[in-house]
Amino acid sequence: MTDPSTPLIAVEHVDKWFGSLHVLRDVNLDVRRGEVVVVVGPSGSGKSTLCRVINRIEPIDSGVIRVDGRPLPAEGRALARLRADVGMVFQQFNLFSHRSILDNVTLGPVKVRGIPREQARRRARELLARVGIADQADKMPAQLSGGQQQRAAIARALAMDPKVLLFDEPTSALDPEMINEVLDVMTTLAGDGMTMVVVTHEMGFARRAADRVVFMADGQLLEQAPPTDFFDHPRTDRARDFLSKVLTH
Amino acid sequence: MTTVDEERPAPPELAPARRVRPTPATALYDAFGPRGRRRVLVATVVSVAVLAGFAVFVLYRLDRYGHLQRARWSYVLSPEILRYLGEGMLNNLKASVIAGALALVLGLVLALGRLSGTRAIRVPAVAWIEFFRGFPLVLLILFPYLLFPVYLRAVDPLWYVVIGLTLYNSAVIAEVYRAGILSLDRGQQEAAYAVGLRHGQAMRLVILPQAIRRMVPLLLTQLIILFKDSTLGVAVTYPDALRRGETMGSFEPRVVFQAIIVTAVMFFLVGLVASRLVGVLERHWSRG
Amino acid sequence: MNGVDFLADSLPVFWAGFRITVLLALASYAGALILGAVLAVLRISPAAPARAAGLAYVEWFRNVPLLVHLFVAILCLPKLGVRIGPFTAAFLVLAMYTAAQVCEALRSGVNAVPRGQAEAGRALGLTFGQNLRHVILPQAARTVVPPLGSVFIALVKNTAVASLIGVVDLTYQFGELARDEPGQVMTLLVAVAFGYLVMTIPAGYAVARLQRRAAVAR
Ligand SMILES: Nc1ncnc2c1ncn2[C@@H]1O[C@H](COP(=O)(O)OP(=O)(O)OP(=O)(O)O)[C@@H](O)[C@H]1O
Ligand SMILES: [Mg+2]
Repeated sequence: MTDPSTPLIAVEHVDKWFGSLHVLRDVNLDVRRGEVVVVVGPSGSGKSTLCRVINRIEPIDSGVIRVDGRPLPAEGRALARLRADVGMVFQQFNLFSHRSILDNVTLGPVKVRGIPREQARRRARELLARVGIADQADKMPAQLSGGQQQRAAIARALAMDPKVLLFDEPTSALDPEMINEVLDVMTTLAGDGMTMVVVTHEMGFARRAADRVVFMADGQLLEQAPPTDFFDHPRTDRARDFLSKVLTH
Repeated sequence: MTTVDEERPAPPELAPARRVRPTPATALYDAFGPRGRRRVLVATVVSVAVLAGFAVFVLYRLDRYGHLQRARWSYVLSPEILRYLGEGMLNNLKASVIAGALALVLGLVLALGRLSGTRAIRVPAVAWIEFFRGFPLVLLILFPYLLFPVYLRAVDPLWYVVIGLTLYNSAVIAEVYRAGILSLDRGQQEAAYAVGLRHGQAMRLVILPQAIRRMVPLLLTQLIILFKDSTLGVAVTYPDALRRGETMGSFEPRVVFQAIIVTAVMFFLVGLVASRLVGVLERHWSRG
Repeated sequence: MNGVDFLADSLPVFWAGFRITVLLALASYAGALILGAVLAVLRISPAAPARAAGLAYVEWFRNVPLLVHLFVAILCLPKLGVRIGPFTAAFLVLAMYTAAQVCEALRSGVNAVPRGQAEAGRALGLTFGQNLRHVILPQAARTVVPPLGSVFIALVKNTAVASLIGVVDLTYQFGELARDEPGQVMTLLVAVAFGYLVMTIPAGYAVARLQRRAAVAR
């Protein structure tokens, strides 16, 4: 199963509809171990949906998604176990608002992994230190700034020792001055070899941290290329058009 | 580590800061897989079976005691009896309209009193509101019924019902108004002062029209409750629909069951239609 | 007889009525919480007929006046061979009537939990039960406590309606005493007012406090 040559995530011929809206059209995408894939594209192109189908927060209508060689289970404990291995960071942070930051980070390890509480707490404090908010551990989420909340959310995802982290526009809900503190954490993670799928509008981050940039439009995956190739020599008109709007020179 | 994002400032339509997708209601359930769908199917079948079983049981009971006999129902559903009950319903409506109008006015006065800066006005208003809100409505209808003959003279029971309903609802409605006024953001008030209005003018011209408009659905809902509560007139022999239903049963004991059920259904339909209308109005307004 | 002596004489009667009122309120509230929770489960069930049944129940009890339900219980049930005394009838009706309100409070509490919270729990690998227990219900509980307090206050006041079907509660005793001694109605009024306000006003302040606490905690 852990044959290093199998892709960690394999999305094969995936289609998804929201009612009559065809949001994912025959999408194919492989993510290798340790790879950082950045997904870009215009609003409504299906980037979030792609991110969310990978741990079946949204179900798909046809096609196959494999994580570490195994097809996604449809439901139940098997699905929960798989989700434990796939971390997710949301645009709106979604920290559990009734629990302290520390408890947010320990909930998964204790309840899902069965790690003793004390051990989980030690680990949580380490992770909070790693994302730079060790001193916020005992506060409630609402007491933190957006950037701090998002870093706490990253620590919460990391606490599960996930095989891969999914980020859905992690900085889009942040005030401009807080964006970099989150991107810095993500860049460090990428440098440490974490496998990541990142939906973002931060082209600087894509250039700096991505191994591959994936361009989506209208539910289709139109281009995949290393960041320099994609930014300097986009092949499709849609991508050129998109880049001309996003990059202000 | 510092990052210099020379490329960042993106055009507005592509920089979706603070854009939140409207979230649908309960997120309790994961998308169902095959096993989940099977379970839902089983739950569906079981609940249909239970409901059908219950219906059969009720029908069996009704039949065994002769309550499905056509004659009994056609007697109660005859035009004369329906008119008799309908007029009772009109009595409910009469008491409700009078008490509702009085309570709306009195409630407004009380709300303004409670928000007044003058202690001598505020304290009695708060006392009135807290006292009558905390009271069982039946008692507020019984009080005048018992007091009037002793201290003044007996009047038509309608007025006991009206007095009780008014006292209680003036307090409840005052709190509805107050919540409406307080929910307006301070900006409105400050803007009103900024253009040179005094407290009274600001209230009358700026705050109240908005607060009342915003509170209309809640006020209407409270008026529907008031209408249902008018059945408590039974306590003071007011001839409302419920009392008439009951009386019918006493002069034709074979149809007590049908009379009460028909009365209940009448109330149900009136209440349902009224609250649906308020719902429609509310949605209409929150859109426009 | 002056007011004070009269009151002293009638105190045992009032006390008996007060106890019935308290008993009726507490028993029906307990019943309403249990039944209301069951109804709430029906109302948010993925099985459509269960949802429909829950909705029908809630609409029936919300739109038909309480006194009508009480009349159904004491006038109609005997015609079906079900004989119950006034207290039992009042207990059952108040519990069922209040359950509809409890159900709606619980349901809106669960619906008030943002979708993202449940998704975050799921994304961590929590099972349905774990997510419910550790993420959704604790957050729903915060929004649910104040409305449940208001429901209790309304219930205390509603118990007085039971006097109209012959439950010997505070209101009933008040009526009896007032009929016997019409001249003492004002004194009786003060006493019965005290009997109810002593329950509803503190409960009201408790609810307001909980509301503020819940508001601060988020
Ligand atoms: N739960 C849903 N129900 C119905 N339609 C949806 C739902 N979620 C997304 N959509 C629609 O599907 C399309 C793709 O949405 P998605 O959120 O994946 O786009 P996106 O690329 O992430 O866009 P953005 O950059 O705005 O976040 C959009 O048209 C969106 O309106
Ligand atoms: Mg998106």
